[in-house]
Amino acid sequence: MASEAVGSNFQKRVIPWRTIARVALVVFFVLFLAVPLFNILVQMVTNPQLLLRQLLIGLTNGAYIALIALGYTLVYGIVELINFAHGEVYMIGAFFSLTLVGLFSLSDETPYATRIPLMLLILVLTMLATALLNAAIERFAYRRLRNAPRLAPLISAIGVSFVLQNVGLLWGYLRFPAFNGVMGSNAVAPKSYPQLIPNDNLLAPLEGVFGEAFRLRFTTKDLVVIVVSATLLIALYTFVQRTKIGKAMRATAQDRDASALMGIDVNRTITLAFLLGGALAGAAGMLVGMYNGTVVYTLGFTAGLRSFTAAVLGGIGNILGAMLGGLLIGLISALSDQYISTEWTNAVVFGILVIILVLRPNGLLGEDVQQKA
Amino acid sequence: MNSRIRAGLIGGIFGLLISLVSGGQIAYLAGIIAGAIASQLAAQEEDVASVRAGIQLGLRAGLVAGALTALGVFIRGFLINPLVNVSADASVVFMLGLGGLVMAGVAGVVFGAIRGLPSPQNRFGTLLAFGLLAVAYPFLDSLLNLRFMNEVIPVLIFILMALGLNIVVGYAGLLDLGYAAFFAIGAYTTGMLASPHFGISMPFWIVIWIAAAVAALFGILLGAPTLPLRGDYLAIVTLGFGEIVPIAANNLDNVTISILGVTLLENFDLTGGPRGINPINRPSLFGYAFEPSQPIPWYFLILGLIVFSIFFILRLRNSRLGRAWSAMREDELAASAMGINLVRTKLLAFAMGATFSGFAGAFYGSFISAITPASFGFDVSVILLCMVILGGLGNITGVILGGLIIQFADRLFLPQLGDVVQGLLQNSNIEVLKEINFKTDFRTMLFGLTLVIMMLVRPEGLVPNERRRRELHADDEATAHERQTLYDAEQA
Repeated sequence: MASEAVGSNFQKRVIPWRTIARVALVVFFVLFLAVPLFNILVQMVTNPQLLLRQLLIGLTNGAYIALIALGYTLVYGIVELINFAHGEVYMIGAFFSLTLVGLFSLSDETPYATRIPLMLLILVLTMLATALLNAAIERFAYRRLRNAPRLAPLISAIGVSFVLQNVGLLWGYLRFPAFNGVMGSNAVAPKSYPQLIPNDNLLAPLEGVFGEAFRLRFTTKDLVVIVVSATLLIALYTFVQRTKIGKAMRATAQDRDASALMGIDVNRTITLAFLLGGALAGAAGMLVGMYNGTVVYTLGFTAGLRSFTAAVLGGIGNILGAMLGGLLIGLISALSDQYISTEWTNAVVFGILVIILVLRPNGLLGEDVQQKA
Repeated sequence: MNSRIRAGLIGGIFGLLISLVSGGQIAYLAGIIAGAIASQLAAQEEDVASVRAGIQLGLRAGLVAGALTALGVFIRGFLINPLVNVSADASVVFMLGLGGLVMAGVAGVVFGAIRGLPSPQNRFGTLLAFGLLAVAYPFLDSLLNLRFMNEVIPVLIFILMALGLNIVVGYAGLLDLGYAAFFAIGAYTTGMLASPHFGISMPFWIVIWIAAAVAALFGILLGAPTLPLRGDYLAIVTLGFGEIVPIAANNLDNVTISILGVTLLENFDLTGGPRGINPINRPSLFGYAFEPSQPIPWYFLILGLIVFSIFFILRLRNSRLGRAWSAMREDELAASAMGINLVRTKLLAFAMGATFSGFAGAFYGSFISAITPASFGFDVSVILLCMVILGGLGNITGVILGGLIIQFADRLFLPQLGDVVQGLLQNSNIEVLKEINFKTDFRTMLFGLTLVIMMLVRPEGLVPNERRRRELHADDEATAHERQTLYDAEQA
């Protein structure tokens, strides 16, 4: 009898964390989201052309989000740090490439024979610069905190992101012809990026053949963003899966101490992860600059948020997961832009982040890893 | 280096910076601050046995600090002012420098003497002295013609919030990156209940409690889904809430709710959208109406709120709940094994933290009298985090000191520095530098650098909580201990 009483007491003390959290989420959902979601679904079904158009936009967004998300995932996989400054590295990449565009005085009138090689050169230089920047951030702001309590490097990363954002703001004071934005010439104003890739619709013939219902939009810009992103993503995946250094990275991600014992230089591997992540962010910065035609110093926060959510959605630490997550977040934000409103999109993405973290913290493709405190 | 001189130098740096960038009569105040800090620091380094020893100690530290303050006054008066074409009378500058020195010495002696009193009078006396300084501040301000009152009140609002954030981050160890959300909720509650927006005008003294309660309620609501999360994931989710609240405030100006064709609400303006709520009623007490042109009553109101909060927080920290928080911060598993109800403890940490932010929000709403979603962004949360981390997590003195430093740097130092630099550049032809607006263009840099440098150099903050300091330097102590045992073994 006595032992039974103890047993039931013990049962009571087990805390139903997830149940409580899930109940709370369901309450939120029913209260705020169920009705609008239903309305959106109705709209989607009744107008498939609009839906398709948004999905195409989402595809392009997803491509660059995946590029940035990879930086989060590579770093988190190895050092278990949310590199909060990563979004700002991407923003710096956009500014850096715009500055090079200004220095080479590229514009939409430069002949293609010189424009395309120069654009490739700028892409490479930007990737190099952001890679070095990201590695330098690791060296100066995170390395010393590797064995500190876990929140210390996160706080340091927030600090770095603020510093970089301020650097972006001060960068706006430069007076290149390219920096004389359409929105005024002061530092805070968005800078206009010359239209280096033509904006013509590749799907225009479809409308001619199939009629009004196929009035879709997929421009050369979209194509370039998707092709460049896909190339980089495949290159990275091959690198990590096929080369010896990639193997070292995977080993370090699995167990840092054991891989050090196996003769892997852990510091160099971590630096490499930051270099790769930075390079991809730089490429994304240039692509988005060209795609949107503007660069602002506040660019990094939103992009960082979406990409981090993408990384978590796919399963943080998982490279394929980051790509999948990037694509999904790109699609979701494009749909939210259309069916809810642009202003709510950040909130939607954050809501998704919260839901994943609470319901499935390992993400879609993530393995079952214990969350470390 | 002698600890008194070192303490004096640290205190003196404050005096130097204040007098350097601000110039003028503020030198006296700079002297008092420098002397008080120097004396406090010196008394922390060595034991003060008697009043006499305290006076000696305080005098030396205070004079060192005063000398630096005077140096600041002289550099400003004789080197910078001529460059920026401000006429400076040599005798006036000299008097100001001397005044700073004397004030620092006097402050040093007074605070040193109090530290020399037997315990517990020394602690009580120190509190009393700082309290008197705080009460006397408005009169010093008008006496010295400083005109800082309108800046000081927002500073105090931020300090009140930092005290609340300290409960969540410092005591319970839950990194909250969206704390500004509760500030917004407090402010918006005030805006809705005491303004022409809905035509409701409840008295401030009731609204402030409702605002705190609503903020606490949201603390629990937002805390509940995050219960299973720890560490950096928790930080990111709270950041999310911190973003969603201003977005919601920005967009809930046109709410239409219809379920199955039945319209419950149509184009209902809940938050005023991007324009916010304006105006908000101001408080009045026994027929005396608080006016924006009269900052002194506001000052004492917020000071009272802060004193009340400090008292409450101190009691809370030493209560069963407060001890449960620190147990949970150290080790959740062990705490729960000891019978602590983690769900309740965590939710109460969020709720209590949010309460003070709700107070601050209510005060802010009626003080500024106009709230917009833009004033509750992520940067507010980060500024608060900076204040708490700079001063020292989990230590009220530290949080207040950190808050004063960050806010001083943000609101007074940067603009003044801007004025000085702009003045210096007036005759140069560096166009770009002239355009830079120091008031706004280095803010984020300042906060970012504070966070990074503090994490790298002194993660426990300027005035650390003893337990946290040990935690962060556990390795150092362990190695020292090992060395000691090795040494013992060798000796044997």
